[in-house]
Amino acid sequence: MMHSDIKSRPVYQALAPDLAGSRHLLVVEGETLVAGRLDELAGLFAPVQATLHTWLAGAATPVAGLGRLWQLESAADVVDALACASRGYGVGDRLYVQGTEPFLWSVATAAAVVGFGEKQLRLHHAGSLRRRVWCTHCHGMTEGVTTSIVACGGCGRHLLVRDHFSRRLGAFMGVMVDAEAPGEVPAIEEVFA
Amino acid sequence: MIGETLRLKVAAVADIAPGLRHVRLVAADGGKLPPAAAGAHVQLVLAGATRTHRNAYSLVSRPGARDAWEIIVRRVPTSRGGSAYVHESLQAGDVLEAGWPGNLFAPVRTARRQLMIAGGIGITPFLSYLAEFAFSGVEHALHVCCRESERHAFDPWLADRPHVAWHWDADGHRLDIPALLAAQPMGTHLYVCGPAAMNDEVLAAAAAAGWPDTHVHCEHFGSALSGGEAFRAFLARSGIEVDVAEDESLLDAIERVGVKAPCLCRGGACGVCVTPLLEGEAEHRDHVLSAEERAAGRLIMPCVSRARAGRLVLDL
Repeated sequence: MMHSDIKSRPVYQALAPDLAGSRHLLVVEGETLVAGRLDELAGLFAPVQATLHTWLAGAATPVAGLGRLWQLESAADVVDALACASRGYGVGDRLYVQGTEPFLWSVATAAAVVGFGEKQLRLHHAGSLRRRVWCTHCHGMTEGVTTSIVACGGCGRHLLVRDHFSRRLGAFMGVMVDAEAPGEVPAIEEVFA
Repeated sequence: MIGETLRLKVAAVADIAPGLRHVRLVAADGGKLPPAAAGAHVQLVLAGATRTHRNAYSLVSRPGARDAWEIIVRRVPTSRGGSAYVHESLQAGDVLEAGWPGNLFAPVRTARRQLMIAGGIGITPFLSYLAEFAFSGVEHALHVCCRESERHAFDPWLADRPHVAWHWDADGHRLDIPALLAAQPMGTHLYVCGPAAMNDEVLAAAAAAGWPDTHVHCEHFGSALSGGEAFRAFLARSGIEVDVAEDESLLDAIERVGVKAPCLCRGGACGVCVTPLLEGEAEHRDHVLSAEERAAGRLIMPCVSRARAGRLVLDL
């Protein structure tokens, strides 16, 4: 489900510090940390440790070597902290994010608002494949979607979850699945666990 | 529209400083000019004494102006003749042929802050930027490095423009480029237009400060780069042998013998004039071809590039 013929489907990268950057901010969603991953990140980012800030969102046991460390509770806290701290960041700085797609794009869209450019940002997917889905009918967002078809949290329509992705909204497109034949909803499968 | 021409009448010429001439151009038929946005340039055909020059000049008129275009031309001692012609021969009432306006240096409108660094006459594209930014309200700053004596030449364009700082070559007045770049907030875009050495210095400082190349924009002067050793080129498809003089670009020579070659910026920046190179070794001076393309030696930008040694054979 990480690969698609749909071109708007984002492709993610492994994390590594961009040595051209002047300061480095690493944001990690705690639930996506498998055993040893934080130590691995500390090793990867060792060359820039002096200018590294690490924000851990959600439950995580910190390790040494992650530069200045902050522990935050949720993606919403990361978004708020980014907005507050943005005055202190400059054009030479870099942002690295590890997490599920809704987390990655919550951070990426907030970073774009405070002025981070695409080349200052690296996104690494880890953990669940769950999706944020944007309803093309009511424009509501439905969070944490793991099934091929989902009832829209805004209007209740049954939405087919597509691979079409909006970087602006940070969400996948959901289109009414039974528009042609009302009530005929195909079998719902768990595909984004 | 590349290839179509406009006819412009010189409405006024005025020397705004020694070696700096301001030219106001209107449509020869009395109609309206095509609109051009901030950063746009126009290519003028200047009929010199010995040959025709085609030079691109930034428009310093208000963006979108359709009644008149304005340019400022510096007299360059080593010029190919275009600037000498403007300074010595051009008079009000003259009619010039011109290309449609092009724009290879438009500001990025999603920027949170616009930082401009100009060297000398490289201020010209920024005069139109300032007009746009004053209107749009985007945060901006212009740093001009120039001769102290020319500080006030641009005052007519800079009235009510508070975000302009002047730097010149004297203790306490030089621009500290690394310090300036280090102090810029997130979302700033950088634009630089000046002599090649200054452009290179600013680009290197930006790279050293970690600026992503998406946020750094540079306009090079073309004219000073086009001269060099005389050489010979053979246009294979046309079957014409061309002698390229020391003070002439390959593109100028191709046009002189009557072969139509597409072009836009005449400064090695846009890539429109790219031509297959069949034989010979080129000295590449453009900003378009990649290192791989240069090494392959199959393409040349005739507006600025020349022969390294011997003859060039072009597929033209």
